[in-house]
Amino acid sequence: MRVVIAEDAAIFREGLVRLLEDRGHRVCAAVADGEALLAAVAAHRPDVAVVDIRMPPTHTDEGLRAALRLRADHPGTGVLVFSQYIETRYAARLLQGSAAGVGYLLKDRVADVAEFTEALARVAAGGTALDPEVVGQLLGAGRHARGLAALTAREREVLSLMAEGRSNAGIADVLVISAGVVEKHVASIFAKLGLPPAEGDNRRVLAVLRYLEA
Amino acid sequence: MHGMEGPLTTAAARGRAALLAPFGRRARDDLLFCLAGVPLGLVVAGVVVWVMAVALAAVVLSPPSRPPSIWLGVAAAALDVLGLLLAVVLATRVARRLGVVHRRLAARLLGTAVAPPPPLARGRGRLRWVAAGLGDGPGWRAVAYQLLKLPLAFLEAYAVFWWAGGLANLTYPFWWGLFRNHPPGVTLGPVPALTPFPGRALQIATYPGTFLALAVGLGMVLAAPWVTRAVVAVDRWLLVALLGPGRLALRVRDLEHTRALAVDDAAAQLRRVERDLHDGAQIRLATLAMHLGLARESLAGLGEVAEVGRARELVDAAHRDAKQALGELRDLARGIHPPVLDNGLDDALATLAATSAIPVELACDLPERPAPAIETIAYYCAAELLANAAKHSRAGRITVRVDGRRGRLALEVGDDGVGGADPARGSGLAGLAQRVSTVDGRLRISSPQGGPTRVGVHLPLRT
Repeated sequence: MRVVIAEDAAIFREGLVRLLEDRGHRVCAAVADGEALLAAVAAHRPDVAVVDIRMPPTHTDEGLRAALRLRADHPGTGVLVFSQYIETRYAARLLQGSAAGVGYLLKDRVADVAEFTEALARVAAGGTALDPEVVGQLLGAGRHARGLAALTAREREVLSLMAEGRSNAGIADVLVISAGVVEKHVASIFAKLGLPPAEGDNRRVLAVLRYLEA
Repeated sequence: MHGMEGPLTTAAARGRAALLAPFGRRARDDLLFCLAGVPLGLVVAGVVVWVMAVALAAVVLSPPSRPPSIWLGVAAAALDVLGLLLAVVLATRVARRLGVVHRRLAARLLGTAVAPPPPLARGRGRLRWVAAGLGDGPGWRAVAYQLLKLPLAFLEAYAVFWWAGGLANLTYPFWWGLFRNHPPGVTLGPVPALTPFPGRALQIATYPGTFLALAVGLGMVLAAPWVTRAVVAVDRWLLVALLGPGRLALRVRDLEHTRALAVDDAAAQLRRVERDLHDGAQIRLATLAMHLGLARESLAGLGEVAEVGRARELVDAAHRDAKQALGELRDLARGIHPPVLDNGLDDALATLAATSAIPVELACDLPERPAPAIETIAYYCAAELLANAAKHSRAGRITVRVDGRRGRLALEVGDDGVGGADPARGSGLAGLAQRVSTVDGRLRISSPQGGPTRVGVHLPLRT
């Protein structure tokens, strides 16, 4: 993968560069603010950009705004937004329109290196990677308590992992079950929630998110 | 040497200052202030005379020697009482109006800026209007000033007289020859010249005598700035004491100001702590966790060797600890100051609502952003109320409404639960009320047994 990183804390930025380069990816540019990020992406056309939300000058949501610009200007580049906190509104803004090539993860997740790089690869390939906290907030918002109550505990787990953007194989890995069993669960979930069956991971994530947000 | 010429030069400088005083800007301003004071004093004199005339009206209208009719007497007495009442009721308001003029004069001419007193309480209805006027402390102080201005105006007129008289005396030698060129043998009466003591005029009969008038005039002009200054000093002292906000009001204003600073400062400090954590400890820990994760993967690739197994366990434990510490630190930092608040109360409440165990319906109408300290207080109130509802209410849904129109921030949190929330039972509501009161906000709780619960928090938009 060809990656551009925007993160203002030098120590974390360098750690990320090393992590990705160790794994054979190419970091085209590692910058410290939103303006530089937009310039770097325009220059290098990477597969994916990793963007910290809080960056100079105001340390509020520069990264988010830069990410939204990237989504509009460079649809071919995946954007993984990275933050110490998960904010519902930020997630909603990022997912507006489409969930393709978007990620929103807590910075902590980088500690699980394999999972992190897998999520990054998913976003680079036009998929989705949502932090379990985002999904937890969506599920916990309680607007769909009745619909969700119809699901079994296992089905809820599968729903959460699906909302995070994982493929059937990915879900099977996490839950240590076979892909066939996952498929059965997914079909059952879609039936219980009254969702039209959706082909492809992306459309599936979107369907689930629409359901949870509506 | 400096020490030797010091006293001499200061004495010389003082002498020069004393001689130049009549021509200075300050002397001019003092004089103008005195000149303006005279008519203003006369206004008060007019009012006092009017009140006294009203008081005497009855006596005049019905001379005791020949009572024309009892009704005329009663009518006069009624008029009398009415007039007096009117004077009393209007006194504070009129005095306040005049006070504005005096304060403006003092600011313009004396450079003494006196802050206006707190405004008169507005009352609806005639009775309230009258009561507000009668109970107006600063208004009565202004009345006292106006009454004291009466004798002061005389003193100010006298100070002006020092100038006018002195200047007039200076002219004697110049016109004496023009008017006293009578033929020899004719005896003319002496011409009076002014002295600082009215009624004790100097009688000038001869041309050399005019130089005495000149000398007296010179003395008066030289002394006049000091006379005006003394009178003005007394007036200024009274003006500050009686037309200002008063010591208590000043103290309240001071305290309000310092409290607002303290509240803002506390909010700013919490933000700083959160940002320091974010840029410091949290980043270090995240990087540490990342490195441990890398180490863990490297060890995993080494296969099964006894030593490596031990190292792997240790790194695994360290990795878990680092991740857990990160989570705890995040909760701590967020508790100190949720960074999303910097983006607005709306966004912060949205996340709060999304993480609530009970479904929350959120409506936010904030045409303008409140001060950061107010946003923080509102946020923590909402957080506490949501937590309370989750713990005690057994509600099925919660509504959170924020309304920032009408210059105030109204936060209302309601639920359809069992009610019975009582600040006296230590449910955190008392703490909320305290927090809200630091900015003169109000907390209203309606939570009958059986529900529903409605808690209203009213805050100013600025500290």
